[in-house]
Amino acid sequence: MTFLDKPGVRRRLRRRFTTGVAVMVAVGTLAACGGSDDDSASGGDKAPATLPELTSEPVTLSFLWFEWPPAQALEDFANKEYKKVRPNVTVKVNTVPNPNWHDAIFTQFAARKTDFDIPILDSQHIGEAVTNGSILDITDFVKSNIETEAYDPYLLAAYGQYPQAETGQRDENAKLYGLPLLGDTWAMIYRKDLIGEEPPKTWDEMIATAKKCQEDNPGVSGLAFHQSNGSDAAAVTYNTVNGVYGGKLWDPKEKKIDGIINDEAGKKAMDVLVNQMKPLAPKGSGNWFIDEVNAAIAQGKVCIGFNWLAAIGGLLDPAQSTLGTSKEQILDKLGFATLPTQEADIVPLGGMGMHISKYAPPERQAEALSFMKWFEQADVQKAWAAAGGVPARKDALSSPEFLNAAPWNKVFTDSVPRLRDMWNVPEYAKLIDIENTNVNAALNGAKDPMDALDTIAKEQQAILDQSGDGGGIR
Amino acid sequence: MATTEIHAPAAPLTAPPAARRYRWLGERRLATLFVSPALALLLFLSIFPLLWALYLSFTNYSATRDTGASFVGLDNYIDILTSATVRQRAITTFVYVVGAVGLQTVLGFAIAYLISRRVRGRGALTTLFLVPMMLSPVVVGLFWRFMLDTQFGVVNSLLGSLGFGQVEWLTKQRTALLSLILVDTWQWTPFIMLIALAGLTAVPKYLYEAASIDRASEWFRFRHITLPLVWPLLLIAVMFRAIEAFRLFDLVYILTSGGPGVSTETLSFHVYKVAFLGFDTGVASAYGILMVLVVIVLAQFYLRYLEKLRSS
Repeated sequence: MTFLDKPGVRRRLRRRFTTGVAVMVAVGTLAACGGSDDDSASGGDKAPATLPELTSEPVTLSFLWFEWPPAQALEDFANKEYKKVRPNVTVKVNTVPNPNWHDAIFTQFAARKTDFDIPILDSQHIGEAVTNGSILDITDFVKSNIETEAYDPYLLAAYGQYPQAETGQRDENAKLYGLPLLGDTWAMIYRKDLIGEEPPKTWDEMIATAKKCQEDNPGVSGLAFHQSNGSDAAAVTYNTVNGVYGGKLWDPKEKKIDGIINDEAGKKAMDVLVNQMKPLAPKGSGNWFIDEVNAAIAQGKVCIGFNWLAAIGGLLDPAQSTLGTSKEQILDKLGFATLPTQEADIVPLGGMGMHISKYAPPERQAEALSFMKWFEQADVQKAWAAAGGVPARKDALSSPEFLNAAPWNKVFTDSVPRLRDMWNVPEYAKLIDIENTNVNAALNGAKDPMDALDTIAKEQQAILDQSGDGGGIR
Repeated sequence: MATTEIHAPAAPLTAPPAARRYRWLGERRLATLFVSPALALLLFLSIFPLLWALYLSFTNYSATRDTGASFVGLDNYIDILTSATVRQRAITTFVYVVGAVGLQTVLGFAIAYLISRRVRGRGALTTLFLVPMMLSPVVVGLFWRFMLDTQFGVVNSLLGSLGFGQVEWLTKQRTALLSLILVDTWQWTPFIMLIALAGLTAVPKYLYEAASIDRASEWFRFRHITLPLVWPLLLIAVMFRAIEAFRLFDLVYILTSGGPGVSTETLSFHVYKVAFLGFDTGVASAYGILMVLVVIVLAQFYLRYLEKLRSS
């Protein structure tokens, strides 16, 4: 007879086991609840107005961004230049694939512990991070340490202000939670050898030119643009066409989307995108994003392509291109221009700002503030421009260092007054997913375009209606 | 120089008496002490998260928001069970599970049957067939994504050289789900094959010899000897695969991101979006609990069928 067979042993063990489980669950629950309470009390931290004393011990300042050429450029630039003023600091720019970017940052915020000090947030992520109390309020620090008047007001607002600014403006009284790191917008990249030196001036003309080019050049498609349902790809494409045809995404003051994004201009934009632009795109391009558009242009498969400026550096690399064996030969064939206009003069705002994690240790928060102060100086911004970055200061934007650094840099300088952003609200991730999946469905024939537009309007409105008072423009 | 050791006569082997201070540590307490670390680990890693998720599923908690959790009763469950979106994702998942596991079962068993009849090179062939199963689903997803690309992929290039047109594998509603099924089948058919092969190898040879003496046909032998003996094992493999396929996330994430639109968005991928895009932790927990329940209930039915099969 084993000891388990003895009378009453099983019953007693079962009772003890049950009690043990109950105790552990209770302890765990209390521990978890306790953590939550502590955190909720510490939201909305502010950075000091003056730069705190910095450590002389070795420090690694960690950024988190997504994998693309500017990430490596930033790490190289910072380690070369910032080390001259802070020799004990090493900058590490950690990267994740683009579709994981939001999750990688916000899951760490959710854990109340981050392995990064400076999260690089998309402009629309700021609302979520601020509402959750995950990044520092740097308003006072900026007032005391940064030449705000040196910036284009909208760039300063777009990459740091919350609540969101009106398009093209900045609210001087609003709080700032970040500073510009990299400006960006779409460029129109066109084949000079196929459509001529002069780029199309209007959107309709651009479509007609692409169509003719496709007909005249068998094997070459008219257009390449972002259509993927990952990240914000398809949504940015629709929003751009919507803006060009005079549409609006929402009324931020009233927090109204239904009836605005799907008004006549919105419908016209959806029709142009699905029925006029999509037939000119290569077959199977319905999941294309940055890399695929670049590959199509570099391999001579399209007449006109649209892509983020900061991501097109590889187009001039002869090793990746079939357009020429040298940079000069490639530049003979490729032209870069600002987006054509139509009913309105709108281009999409890209780029990102630097922010400071509330959960970074104090000495690294201080170092992050020091880095930001250093980075936003006029000469550093020009050096960043020369190193491949896109600055946000007006003096740097018009400097020869920036304008001569790449053949497309003037496109950004010319585009700055035309920039328009999406919604910067805590519910951004849900809004973008609704728009991305529906535009992608319309582009790939999985949904009627007008049904897709109405679904976007209704579902996004429902999200905003549930959201309470957060976000919007005050 | 050799040495000779002289041993004293061996003492009888008896356990030394326990020290007086350990007298309290009886057989029962000792057993409890040995089991408790493993039990604590199990509770901490499995039971507690499950119970915690169960608790969260009745709240509106969000992991990122600095607000506490409020009790919302069964609201999350009612929202999920009455949602048209969830119904659509459930249908997608069902089609995927039936398509992928069905195809894998037929192919896996067929390959195992062919290999089992081969005497030479059986080990090498089996190892070769197992390679896809050893790869990470993310790696598999990435290289199939490149291979199935309409413009740059090797599959369309091959089809083109054979005179076929370009197929939009990942960007059309019908072909995208089919592509997911094919890629999953490529990776997991070896699993079914392996289990089926184990079953086929275990069939006693004398049964076939007896059938041969009776001049039974090949089909008769397969229908009345091979299949009945391998069937229970095959069903277990199918159950494992069905549970895995029901939870499919990685291939969808890499290959289609749920697209075009949401036409390949499985339940797991949808839960990921609820949990990590919207950070609706309470709702996501309710999804998780419901999915666990579905798997448990279906597995119970399945196991009972297996038990019935075994006893009959």
